[in-house]
Amino acid sequence: MVGYIDKIKEISERLLKEGTVEMVIGFQKGTLPMMNTPCFAKTPEDVGNFVWDSHCGINLANYLTDRKEKIGVIAKGCDSRSIVTHITENKIKREQIFVIGAPCKGMMDRHKIASLFETEIRSVAENDGKLIVTAGDGEKTLEKADLLQKNCAVCAHRNPVIHDELAADPVEDQKDVDRYADVREIETMPPAEKWDYFDDLFSACIRCYACRNACPLCYCPTCFVDESQPQWVGKSTDPIDTKTFHFLRAYHCAGRCTDCGSCERACPMGINMRMLTKKLEKDCIDAFGWEPGLDLNQRPPLDTYKMDDPEDFIK
Amino acid sequence: MKVIKIDKKDWADSLGKLSGPYRLFGPVRDKDFHNFKELGNDEQPDFNFQNTRVSAKSMVLPQSETLFTYSLDEKEPDHHQMREPEKNYSPRAVLGIRPCDAKAFLLVKRNFDTPEYKDPYWVRAYEASTFVGLACDDPCSTCFCTSAGCGPFHEEGLDLLLVDAGDHFLAKVLTQKGKNLVQAAGWGVETNADVELMKRTAESRIASAISTEQLKGKAATDLYHAPFWEEAAFACINCGTCTYSCPTCWCFDIQDENHGNAGVRMRNWDSCMYPLFTLHGSGHNPRETKIHRVRQRFMHKLKYYLDKYDAGIQCVGCGRCIRLCPVNIDIRNICELMNSHDPGACTCQVA
Amino acid sequence: MGIEPGRLHFSWISSAEATKFVDVVTQVTDAVRALGPHENFVKHMPKVA
Repeated sequence: MVGYIDKIKEISERLLKEGTVEMVIGFQKGTLPMMNTPCFAKTPEDVGNFVWDSHCGINLANYLTDRKEKIGVIAKGCDSRSIVTHITENKIKREQIFVIGAPCKGMMDRHKIASLFETEIRSVAENDGKLIVTAGDGEKTLEKADLLQKNCAVCAHRNPVIHDELAADPVEDQKDVDRYADVREIETMPPAEKWDYFDDLFSACIRCYACRNACPLCYCPTCFVDESQPQWVGKSTDPIDTKTFHFLRAYHCAGRCTDCGSCERACPMGINMRMLTKKLEKDCIDAFGWEPGLDLNQRPPLDTYKMDDPEDFIK
Repeated sequence: MKVIKIDKKDWADSLGKLSGPYRLFGPVRDKDFHNFKELGNDEQPDFNFQNTRVSAKSMVLPQSETLFTYSLDEKEPDHHQMREPEKNYSPRAVLGIRPCDAKAFLLVKRNFDTPEYKDPYWVRAYEASTFVGLACDDPCSTCFCTSAGCGPFHEEGLDLLLVDAGDHFLAKVLTQKGKNLVQAAGWGVETNADVELMKRTAESRIASAISTEQLKGKAATDLYHAPFWEEAAFACINCGTCTYSCPTCWCFDIQDENHGNAGVRMRNWDSCMYPLFTLHGSGHNPRETKIHRVRQRFMHKLKYYLDKYDAGIQCVGCGRCIRLCPVNIDIRNICELMNSHDPGACTCQVA
Repeated sequence: MGIEPGRLHFSWISSAEATKFVDVVTQVTDAVRALGPHENFVKHMPKVA
């Protein structure tokens, strides 16, 4: 994926020169290893800052929200599905965006990589499916495939589903991925055990809302947790309020979440709140055969009614 | 200043002695990281950490704190009146706090404990606390304490400084509170050992620095109108990670919570990153966009605080906001933009 | 998320089906009573430290 950058720069530069778009949203190098940070280019010269490698996990669809300009945006498979969701939800018009598609082989799990070293990581380089990681206690060459973010490891749509131009040839999708092994494990737990599982999962939450704010779907002008008239949920770190926030946020993403992993990646406390959204994603597949963000012309299951919608839960 | 030797073999025993006169708090490992917690009986603080995930500020300013309780039950004599609940302000010892977190309390104190105004909850909790610092000999690459008025062996704000010396700690007694704790623990072996060399070695390991010397001379309005904010704020998602993990961010929000016929008035941490933070009752929001909010956070830390108290910036260089920011917004970069900003060189207009 | 499935029930009942409504409500309340109170997802007043 390192090779994409020349093509990304070429396309972006052309779009800005020709005035096709007013800005291109991409990534620039961050100040820490394995961290690239979202940025924009408004002139062809700005494009020089762009980078592309296996540390561009942040979902750029989140940066389109409420912008008025004509925008070029670099989109991986998951980003493109979030963009499709924004378009079907009338959040943005297809014509307002120029999608530069970036077929993706998966982004790196920087916490997992950090956990393989005793000391802090100083630099990371990548080369042909390998990562060369230098830490205070030495250098290791690691297989990228073993260090994918959890959502990337089970990704079934690596290629952008919509694009105006591609930065590289499409990649082969992963076959025989079992997306829901962990969800099934929780489904088999008795209620009390499930309760304890989620109690423990969210025990470290500090209510900073990084998960919500990193999520491209959480674009409500006022989130229900911020409402004060009426106040739906308390604002302290009371465990019931904290869980209410996480449960309801997940439900608000049902049938919309593309498992881009933004929430989990953003969490400063390492909480895997994807265990909630994945369950709802699985239910949407089981009940409606629905995977979000794949088709601009299909309405999501929760805003349409079909004669064959399952109703065996109605007794 | 007296230096005392504490054999690590005796550590658990001394904590046992301390647990009588003090409530003990210390870093405890929780899953993948350490945070400060009240230690249970015979529970040991775990000193095998670089720094805690979030700062130690909750030792004095908890994320949620009950200020008053009330009853709406008319059968109770003081119904519809706020009552201040009994709180435990008995002596407490915070063991293993890093010098940056301890120094941070002094920065907060300038605002919470002034001749005109005192935040009684903060002041009581602060005064009840004895801070037993743990000098840092393995800083993170994101630590820039030495250029932010602090350092890995910094003593301001601490009552006692522990230095790990292999099979023993060297303890530097810094205040009367520190002396009292040393006595209660039964530590008494004085030594001539000098921590100066260790201090210098640790300081030399701080690889990162900021420059702040120009900030004071700049006009706040020039910095406010500087053109770099749009770009600097672009990546920000306006979560509260930086403010909640920061040892010097002190903002809070007061809420009443009803539970049937009774309730509490509590204060919770708030964050200038949130749109609600400045939302007026009228619906107007003076800091409506994230550019406003990001600018506010950095202007407060690096300019307003400095101008108001003339005692440095409101940052101790712990680097947590850099490490934890989901989109890698780096206060060192922003500080550099501010410090080197030349309004004369700038011709562009910003909103 | 740890709430017993027996606490949730869906039925189609027309406004003309009063008897069905009574039957369903009786059934559901009996079923929930048999489970006893759900005590997990209940918020308590914060303790003063």
